[in-house]
Amino acid sequence: MNEQKTDATVLLVAMGNRERGDNGIGWEFADTIESLGYDFLDLEYREQLFVEDAKLISNYDVVIFVDASYQKFGGGFEMSRCFAASHGFYFSNAQAPAAMLYLAKKLYKKSPKAYLLNISGEEFEEQPSLSNEALKNLQSAIEFFDEQFLPLILGVRV
Amino acid sequence: MNKKIIIDPVTRVEGHGKVTIHLDEYGQVKDAFLHITEFRGFERFIQGHPYWEAPLLVQRLCGICPVSHHLAAAKAIDQIVGIDPKDLSPTANKLRRLMHFGQVFQSHALHFFYLASPDLLFGVDAPVEKRNVVAVATENRDLALKGITMRKFGQEIIKAIAGKRIHGIVAVPGGVQKTFTKEERDYFLDGKNIESVDTMIEWSLAMVDFMKGYHEQHRKFLDEFAQFPSGHLGMVRDDGATDLYDGKLRAIDSEGNKTLDDISTDLYDEYFSEAVEKWSYMKFPYLKKIGREKGWNRVGPLARVNICNYIPTPLAEKARKEFVEFTGKKVNNSTMYSHWARLIEILHCAEEMKTLLHDEELMGADLVRKGIPRLKGIGIIEAPRGTLTHRYEVDENGMITRCNLIVSTTNNNEAMNAAVRWVASNVIDRKGTVTDGMLNQVEVAIRAYDPCLSCATHAMGKMPLKIELYNHLGELSYERTKN
Repeated sequence: MNEQKTDATVLLVAMGNRERGDNGIGWEFADTIESLGYDFLDLEYREQLFVEDAKLISNYDVVIFVDASYQKFGGGFEMSRCFAASHGFYFSNAQAPAAMLYLAKKLYKKSPKAYLLNISGEEFEEQPSLSNEALKNLQSAIEFFDEQFLPLILGVRV
Repeated sequence: MNKKIIIDPVTRVEGHGKVTIHLDEYGQVKDAFLHITEFRGFERFIQGHPYWEAPLLVQRLCGICPVSHHLAAAKAIDQIVGIDPKDLSPTANKLRRLMHFGQVFQSHALHFFYLASPDLLFGVDAPVEKRNVVAVATENRDLALKGITMRKFGQEIIKAIAGKRIHGIVAVPGGVQKTFTKEERDYFLDGKNIESVDTMIEWSLAMVDFMKGYHEQHRKFLDEFAQFPSGHLGMVRDDGATDLYDGKLRAIDSEGNKTLDDISTDLYDEYFSEAVEKWSYMKFPYLKKIGREKGWNRVGPLARVNICNYIPTPLAEKARKEFVEFTGKKVNNSTMYSHWARLIEILHCAEEMKTLLHDEELMGADLVRKGIPRLKGIGIIEAPRGTLTHRYEVDENGMITRCNLIVSTTNNNEAMNAAVRWVASNVIDRKGTVTDGMLNQVEVAIRAYDPCLSCATHAMGKMPLKIELYNHLGELSYERTKN
């Protein structure tokens, strides 16, 4: 296990569906992070976000949402800050991270610092494995997360 | 100029469909339809699978009511291993019931708080930015918090029994695969980790009171909006009490006369048939003896409150009596009363969950029973949205050769079309213009039935709904898509 330290409570929410090809990339990311032994970091797996997840994220200082993306990013992924927003609430499920942050703020008076890690995929049909391109992008995202994001952004000492 | 209005997608429902409204050159409504445009064919591809896989596979139809499909299939598969509902062990029966009440509780909470409450709180012609749970959270924080917590309670019940909130597994042929522990039970009783079941009852009562207050202020709207005569179908016990897990099928007409007199669920095929229409993938079930045109029935909370002699929990029964008083003890055929009936059922489920959680048999060890195998089985359950039927036939090797699923929303197909026609005729007809608020009322009428279009067509993927307006030449003249 790596030795690490941070005072913040951190939640990583992996979104996706392993049966839908590269849509499973978020869950694969979480599996890998778990194998690295970051015990300061809690993991949650979701096929989609639900309204009640607002309560969950309100319990943390930092929330990182990880999901697959149709978009092609340079380097294979994009990490961005995610802010509360009140739009896009037509359906009962499949809520957006920004919407969850908005509900956490409105209902529970909490505003965790949030990030959205989108990893590019290219094949989203029904199949239980990632494409080669997605595997490559996953590896890049993990290296970035491990080597740059955690120490430089979150201040985690590894 | 003749026009056709199409609502596509219809929002805050589960599933993908569209509404088309046809106007003539004077702006008069000629016809209106709810089209279900997705197709999945679940009944077909389950063929060839061993019967014991059915309760696992079919729950994947839906992420909202998988427990209902799991249990309806389990009841059918029980029969294939020779076990009728009365033969289940008390522990298996009570664990399944507890999970079912948890499912109905969380599903009704989701519908009322997340989907329907914006219509009631802000009005059916409220601007689009207010028609969502965020607006509810912003303007009525307490209501939103209760809604989220109540849904979570139901999901936690499901998780405790089936291992997962969604697509968990507990039912096996002839019983259940696990029992309940004292620690699991106390989790829901002591209020230390989550709000207790007593709090759920208290909040459910408050929701019924909220609805009574709303009714006092908006009685005309509730009485008149999408009111039309229909049959009502549901399941009752031998004494006529509501039973959401098992019982006999009862149907009444719009005046309260019995059209189906407490028949065994095993006889479903003798009494019901299904019609198809070329403009929808959803089927139209009806009572054979009355016929396709008039033999259809509403199902769900309103139908269940209409058909039962009483509700077998004291607080919900008191609420039912108050409900019945408002309609002069006659059958209630008003679509919007579905919301009130749904809240009465939330209260009923909370009471039932409390009773079961205090029942020592819930923690028994007699989990699975076996009988003499059969080649077919039928399982009927009162799912959150109404009567749900699973029917399977197997060969001598136990492989499924035929599967038929008649889901709640399918039963409500004709009623939802009637509701759309009502709004088209009473709100849009001859107005000269079509406003966003008018079109939302079409959705309000559909939404009252809490349709799960993904279940009804057994579809998957993105599931929006939309509205379109066509002229008499078949040209699209207006379209609204929300995704």
